[in-house]
Amino acid sequence: MNSRKQDPRRVAVVAAGIVSPLGFGLTETLQSLRQGRDCVTPVAAFPVDKTRCKTAAQIDDERLLNRAQRSRRARRLHRASHMVITALAELLEDAPGFPPEIAIVGTTSGGMSFGENFYRTLGNGNGCSAALIANYPPQKQIVDAMEKFGMNVPAEVIANACASGTNAIGHAFNAIRAGRYQRILAGGYDALSELVFVGFDSLQAATPEKCRPFDSNRSGMVLGEGAALFALEELESARSRGAEILGEIIGYGISTDNHHLTQPNPDGSGPRRAMEQALAQAKLTPDQVGYINAHGTATILNDSAEGKAIMELFGDVPVSSTKSMMGHSLGAAGAIEAAVTLLALQYQFLPPNINFRESDLSLNVVANEAHEAQFNCAVSNSFGFGGTNATIVFRKFAR
Amino acid sequence: MSLSIAGMSWVTPLGSDVDDVWQRLLAGETAPVEILENEENGARYLVRRVPANTPFPAHSRLRRASAISRFAAAAGLAALAEVKLPPSLDRIALVFAVSNGGVVYTRRFYSEIVKSGAQSASPLLFPETVFNAPASHLAAILGINGASYTVVGDGAVGILALKLAEDLLASDDLDFCLVVSAEEIDPLVCEAYRQWRFLRNPSKPTGRGMIMSEGAGAVLLERPDESIPSAAAHASAARIEQIVPGRNFFRRSEAAAELGAVVARLENGIGFGVGSANGTFIGRAERAAVGNKLPLYSPKIALGESVGASVLWQLIAAAQALKTGTLPGGLELPANSPALVLACGLNQQTGGLTLRLRQRE
Repeated sequence: MNSRKQDPRRVAVVAAGIVSPLGFGLTETLQSLRQGRDCVTPVAAFPVDKTRCKTAAQIDDERLLNRAQRSRRARRLHRASHMVITALAELLEDAPGFPPEIAIVGTTSGGMSFGENFYRTLGNGNGCSAALIANYPPQKQIVDAMEKFGMNVPAEVIANACASGTNAIGHAFNAIRAGRYQRILAGGYDALSELVFVGFDSLQAATPEKCRPFDSNRSGMVLGEGAALFALEELESARSRGAEILGEIIGYGISTDNHHLTQPNPDGSGPRRAMEQALAQAKLTPDQVGYINAHGTATILNDSAEGKAIMELFGDVPVSSTKSMMGHSLGAAGAIEAAVTLLALQYQFLPPNINFRESDLSLNVVANEAHEAQFNCAVSNSFGFGGTNATIVFRKFAR
Repeated sequence: MSLSIAGMSWVTPLGSDVDDVWQRLLAGETAPVEILENEENGARYLVRRVPANTPFPAHSRLRRASAISRFAAAAGLAALAEVKLPPSLDRIALVFAVSNGGVVYTRRFYSEIVKSGAQSASPLLFPETVFNAPASHLAAILGINGASYTVVGDGAVGILALKLAEDLLASDDLDFCLVVSAEEIDPLVCEAYRQWRFLRNPSKPTGRGMIMSEGAGAVLLERPDESIPSAAAHASAARIEQIVPGRNFFRRSEAAAELGAVVARLENGIGFGVGSANGTFIGRAERAAVGNKLPLYSPKIALGESVGASVLWQLIAAAQALKTGTLPGGLELPANSPALVLACGLNQQTGGLTLRLRQRE
């Protein structure tokens, strides 16, 4: 996005918060990434006896809900609300009093499992709790989190399927870059639900085996869940108040692939357009990128289309899909993977693509183990149903 | 940033022609009310549906799509058709506003899981349950392959979608943004609002509470810019002066104050308002926010509560009121005064915008 009225502003990430199967907080997430921890476990939240896939990467409820206040009101909130609260708590520890002008976040299903419970109560003839209805909608979780910390700004919730988180961060970046805002709370969240789990299983997109992105024998995704939030601020504003700067966002690309509602064009043109746009905005050539956090769902179709686009555009730049460790958290995925990419840049390492054996794609996959590396720029990709493709580019912040 | 409305269209329970529906609203007509029954629990709801004989575009992407996608396609295409010079597809973005989304297929899909087991769940239904499925269909029909965003929220979501569109149009890369909102009726959604005590009781058809409805709205927004030679060709009736997404009200008693804060941030001298009163607490909150003197009309009284689609219906009604100089009820409006569109959802969100009649260039 080029502002026609003024020079583009630089956009800093001044704080972040995350909860995912990799851990609670950036420190635990970093440890899990370096260890290449496989977080996939059997699903216990709903019956999976009639699905092919029986596993997912899940957040421990005991720990998640223990962190939340045990008040009557908190107990009514959806798990997804508690995930967002957890992420926002960490962000505000690093940036106390961060005053966003707007929250721009992504999700695909908000408090979906409350909707499922509501439907089930209709069939059994019992009344349902109004709390199920009031706390189900997808904007409620970010509003709950803001209320918890005394924050109250408009909540712009983007639901672009599995690219939602990246679209939210990318749009927030562009809005600051164009001078529309100085500070934005951006990110994404999603919690595992039966409807979505069975949905991907019905499409045979979920695997009964290990999740092996970019492997020749990949057989599908496993689902995940979580939340990640970022405090984005116009760089000069952040500098002037002495804020710690975790990194810069320097490019964003978005494209729509009209090939099919759920399948990418096999030629990889949709992802490629998003990546090209993001690089152009960042004023980077592909060889200046040192790491790509791929969408890499481990489905046959995604990985071949994305892999083709990456090969053609980036050649042998190191690539990994961290979904191999933490599953695909849908609307949260782009935000969680943005945090992963930021950690990789900050700590100069390449997060691994675990469960990897061999590939039919000529990609430089970061196979199974994390590696130290030196690089200044990294890319994070997210693609989704509806043909939505999004790419953001991060740069290590040089003081 | 001021944005011109280059085209607008709606699909409502009272029809799909903007001028015709507006004349019927001015004449005091209300959309027919019918009874919808819930097979799961026998509950009955008053609803206002889009007429069965409404023409929809024929396209392969709509063959299996739910009603929400058909409504959206009809409104979106009609709004684009108003532009004399079709915009270049690589310079137009799509922003979609929705609240409940493709709930008909979502309920059917989950019903299969509950009643027949996960192994029976249809892979054809699942993709249509995703919030951005209608936007995807519309993008494919129009050939838009750039930016497409689906924004979700409550009845005020349209304000947030319009704000997102305004932010997109701050860029040199785009000339137009097509903002579409749509919603479809399903017993599951009606039951949720009934249990939340917001729906009108079918045995008291003139009582309090809202009547659910469905349909779509679409506006094609254009950034006024002398450097774009085509801009003058897209002369339309109104332009949006200011869009203010509001804060959230954590308790219903706070709604009036949050709406008041929205109004305070908008320009002075507003001549009338088009609000979102629907038979619930919202009407009182809006009235308290704007005071007793400002004429305030809600199209939801005649068209029903279409949740995600409603703000664009309000916007189109306000544009029509500016154009015709009158509101339903026969109220003549002051000339050259801006209109207020005020939105309050049932689940915490608020917002507003102002609209002015645009001089033809």
